[in-house]
Amino acid sequence: MQKHLNKNDLLALNRIIRRSHGDGYLVVEKSPSRGGDEVQQIDPESVTLRGLSIGYDKPLVSDINKTIYPGDTIAILGSSGIGKTTLMRTIAGLIRPLSGEISHNYPKRGGIGYIPQRLGLVRHSTVRSNVALGARTRRSRWYPFWFPLDKKLKDDVDNAMRALKILDIADEPVRILSGGQQRRVAIARTLVQRPRIILADEFLGELDKENVNSIITATKEIVDEIGATLVLIEHHEERAIELADRIWRIIDNNLIEEGDSNQ
Amino acid sequence: MIPINKKLFFIGISLILLAWLSLDDLVDDWGQIEGAPEKLQTFFSEDLLPPDWSVLEAEVWADGSLHKPNGDVCDENIELFCSKAWTGMVVTIKMAFVATLIGFFFSIPIASLAANNMAPLPIAMPARVLLAGLRSLPSIIWALLFAIALGFGPLPGILAMTLYTIGYLGKLQYEAMEGVHNAPLESGLAMGLTHSEQLFHVVIPESSNHLLSQLLFMFEYNVRHGAVLGLVGAGGIGMYIDNYINPPFDYNKAFALLIVVFVVVVIIDLISMLIRSFVTEEGDVKRPKWWSVILPPSMAVEMYSKKEEE
Repeated sequence: MQKHLNKNDLLALNRIIRRSHGDGYLVVEKSPSRGGDEVQQIDPESVTLRGLSIGYDKPLVSDINKTIYPGDTIAILGSSGIGKTTLMRTIAGLIRPLSGEISHNYPKRGGIGYIPQRLGLVRHSTVRSNVALGARTRRSRWYPFWFPLDKKLKDDVDNAMRALKILDIADEPVRILSGGQQRRVAIARTLVQRPRIILADEFLGELDKENVNSIITATKEIVDEIGATLVLIEHHEERAIELADRIWRIIDNNLIEEGDSNQ
Repeated sequence: MIPINKKLFFIGISLILLAWLSLDDLVDDWGQIEGAPEKLQTFFSEDLLPPDWSVLEAEVWADGSLHKPNGDVCDENIELFCSKAWTGMVVTIKMAFVATLIGFFFSIPIASLAANNMAPLPIAMPARVLLAGLRSLPSIIWALLFAIALGFGPLPGILAMTLYTIGYLGKLQYEAMEGVHNAPLESGLAMGLTHSEQLFHVVIPESSNHLLSQLLFMFEYNVRHGAVLGLVGAGGIGMYIDNYINPPFDYNKAFALLIVVFVVVVIIDLISMLIRSFVTEEGDVKRPKWWSVILPPSMAVEMYSKKEEE
């Protein structure tokens, strides 16, 4: 009997293999049916960083060679000012790399979800319209900007707000919310966007433990559902290890992956 | 002794000195000042004062019937509504309203192209040059051009005001847009929002307070300028003022009309304060009744909490 795997099955399988074998994508890479050097073909949705050097005037981190596979959860660690945010902004396409290249074939619209450190919410709009902004990217760029969203997207917006427990404050302006609530809004906006990759700078910030746990649960559920890749910048080392299945550490201009024997 | 920042002190003194030198260079004959207050006093007491409030009344024709300034018979119950001040002001306010609104709709997209956090320099520069061009001709010159092309009346006035509004409001708007925080724009950019989506859903809500106050200021500015545009026959209250300051001089009536303009400007300012209170952070509070918008935010909050307790 031959069973065709759909994209989500493949992602789930990929994740299981990687979790049980440590650096599992090597296993996938070397599977007999596919050539060892055809990583890109196995995971057409991966992000490849090739000879990447990032920074503003002089390089903060140089010679980054990494592949981010779909379904990965990566935590970037390092002391402040070392280039974590710059790396994330470069992957998000907000700044040009100094040299090297980033390649992926995510759609320009809606492919990347970015939660900056300061959350990037529209403070004078309501929670609902902030979250709806994420859903809007799922329509074509020619969808008239003054049109309200259609029923399906509206339902998705409501569901995302329900999952993050912000449905009861949906019509409040964002600026009057607490830090934790604002964080939930930013996460809901990115989740409803259904991006291929989520880049979250200081994803959980300085939240209390209760908030952290409920946000993590809600996020993981949706991320698993949409099969997105998650790249986080995290200050708490323990939390990072618990959350992520790959740890990138920036030390002295270098990006080192933990448990990677090639480095 | 009050501590003085030495650097600031010297910069301040140098600027004042520079201004004085420029003034002295410009003025050849300081003897002009002599007798100036007396001349002004004579002008005020003999020509301007007292203001002639007959501009608040309808015209009385030889047969004793009341008429509007345009010659129509006055069929209003209140005579004021047929007066030059009222009819002129209504025309001016209508002109300013139309011009401000049309100007606003054109200036918003142009300003979004001129703001350097929303558009790259090769697009922003031409947009800025366009706005500067519209602004560098005062509205009275625009009015003159349109009056030549279209003849006299409110239409050239409206067009002149509209073009000037685009230039002036556009500049204020792109500066307000550049003041918007970078973070929401960046996440929008990474998400792949289009320029118009960023403008409509991020920038306009974020700078709404500034945009609204600029819009209201522009309306007030256009009402004031309605008085000037009359000089080139662009209609409204300015046309009557123009009639009175030309021979046969009737300064008392012109003065009365200027006072009317002043009162209207003050009223617009009060209304604008009221409207803006809805979009400022302090003013956005729960209010117990619709009429409580006239209360300052702190009092409204107090009333609201009292009502909740009941």
